[in-house]
Amino acid sequence: MSDFFLPKIFGTTSFRLAGIYILVFLISSLVMGATVFFVARVALQRQMEARIATEAAFLQAEYRDDGLDRLLSLVRLRGRGASALDYLVQDKSGRHLAGEMPSAAAVPTAGWVTLTTPQASEDGGRPERVRALVSDLGDGLLLGVGDDLRGIDAVEESIGTAFAWTVGLMILLGIGGGTLLSRAFLARVDAISRTVEAIIDGDLTRRVQVRGTSDDLDRLAMTLNRMLDRIGVLMESLRQVSTDVAHDLRTPLTRLYQRLEEARSHACSAAEYQVAIDAALRETEGVLETFSALLRIAQVEGASPKLGFSAVDLSMVADAVADAYQLDAEEAGHHLMVEVTPGVVIHGDQELLTQALSNLVENALRHTPAGTRIAVQLTEDAAARPALTVEDNGPGVLPPDLPHLTRRFYRAERSRTTPGNGLGLSLVAAVADLHGAALDLADAKPGLRIRLSFPATALYPIE
Amino acid sequence: MKILIIEDDTETADYISRGLREYGHTADLAQDGADGFYMATAGIYDCAIVDRMLPAIDGIELVRRLRNAGIRTPVLFLTALRGVGDRVRGLEAGADDYLVKPFAFAELMARLNALARRPPLSDTPTTLRLADLEVDLLKRTATRAGERIDLQPREFRLLEFLLRHADRVVTRTMLLEGVWDFHFDPKTNIVETHISRLRGKLSRAGREPELIHTVRGSGYILRLPGV
Repeated sequence: MSDFFLPKIFGTTSFRLAGIYILVFLISSLVMGATVFFVARVALQRQMEARIATEAAFLQAEYRDDGLDRLLSLVRLRGRGASALDYLVQDKSGRHLAGEMPSAAAVPTAGWVTLTTPQASEDGGRPERVRALVSDLGDGLLLGVGDDLRGIDAVEESIGTAFAWTVGLMILLGIGGGTLLSRAFLARVDAISRTVEAIIDGDLTRRVQVRGTSDDLDRLAMTLNRMLDRIGVLMESLRQVSTDVAHDLRTPLTRLYQRLEEARSHACSAAEYQVAIDAALRETEGVLETFSALLRIAQVEGASPKLGFSAVDLSMVADAVADAYQLDAEEAGHHLMVEVTPGVVIHGDQELLTQALSNLVENALRHTPAGTRIAVQLTEDAAARPALTVEDNGPGVLPPDLPHLTRRFYRAERSRTTPGNGLGLSLVAAVADLHGAALDLADAKPGLRIRLSFPATALYPIE
Repeated sequence: MKILIIEDDTETADYISRGLREYGHTADLAQDGADGFYMATAGIYDCAIVDRMLPAIDGIELVRRLRNAGIRTPVLFLTALRGVGDRVRGLEAGADDYLVKPFAFAELMARLNALARRPPLSDTPTTLRLADLEVDLLKRTATRAGERIDLQPREFRLLEFLLRHADRVVTRTMLLEGVWDFHFDPKTNIVETHISRLRGKLSRAGREPELIHTVRGSGYILRLPGV
């Protein structure tokens, strides 16, 4: 594990971020340090040169006023002081008259020079460097006034040392801090991946730990948990559907099996076989119908709204469906009332909308006794939101059953004996969902009212 | 009729060709889209039954190529797909009808008959006749023996559909698609009630003989009895 740890921590985002920060900080510190260094150096040198220039001017004035002897005695006197400057007086033949500064013979002209003593100085192994102003006093007589550069060198050195320490410490702190941060981050990421691994292995009840700090990782964990909840719900409904399918198909298949079995053992004449085969065929048809209804629902649920959608005259759909069932309703002794706002156009799938409305009307016809009034209504509110309503004043549905009506194969106790496969409303729900419509089932007191509320037609781009 | 079956599932293909032969038709079989296209280009078939999903060339592509090549042979799509846009895509490619598996053989036969004898679009008649029954498609009126029959718009369309397919069996689903534009099977008796209402209007007051007949297990047929 430890073999993996180091490379792993170097690979973390927080460690990389820490590294980048260190680098940026380092570069800016170096730039800043260099600036400080050069500014300090220039200031110190200027100060020194000003002192030297003042001294040289003073000595020149003394020489002009009082002559060479006065100059030589002044130089000897001043050269002895503790924090004294270095001096040199030299005649035109290059002969050293006074002062301890190394010979300026190498510099034939007057002006600023930097000299290096060839011999080791008394207090260190380093050669002595001197900054000097050489001035010509006339007749080849040269006066040199200079100062040791060691003072400035020492200041520069200590700035450099302080800097090296700071930078070194900073890198160490950066790496240490980065490692600590990364480890904390890594631990939480590892916890999340462990949870996810457990879920992959089948424990769908596991959830990612949320620390309640509402930081980015926490938000990620919460999103993950919401996703897991949703997946859980979907899995549950899938399981429910498969169980329902298996359960609901067993009944007709058992009947089919019994019929065929009975025909084999009891039927004697061709006519009897014919009856048995007809019954078996009807049973098979029913099973196939259930399957295709299930497939259709699955296809609608999985469909993309963009495919197969076009402008649909909902008023026409409502009229056509009502017209189709009018005769049927009359024969069955129902009153089918139609109230349709003309010219309601939505963006949708005409075939599916027709089938959904047909299913609603059929349901009303099938589950209500003769004499029931069934109303098909298409309205549009002020905000141009169309609503399709099918309402009856029949016996209605018990309130506890209402929320389950759209479930596949769900059949309320009262409707168990009427024909049907319990898939009609599931399809309506799927079609509503595909069209972004709200499906509302309510007690019409008495009776059942089912309403499909579509989004505002203005929202549809109808070309 | 000479019918071309393009179907890769041998069991389905056998079932169809056996059935067609029983009805006295000849059937040729192609196992994939490439063979099917080659055979169809011969142009000797009255009708082609094409599976939607085929090896080599997909059914939709096959029909599109046939139409591009100028082959007008009527095509009936046979498919297990009942998707939202599947039927539309098939018809748009140039197919003439669409039948979803599983199907009853009577349904397939009725549709093939309707396709093979579909009149060319150019000479669309304005009047349809059968014996003493006459329907004026422009004025939207129907008369029997010169006597006006009062029909609802939907009943008129039903009668028109039956007359266009006179002497041929039309199935319940063909009627639902052709008259109501319902591409699903309602569980109630829409077709039955409308047929019986229409039947009543056609034969009211001693108008003889009965013209709409029920064909058991298949559907309905409009014809003069005994012809």
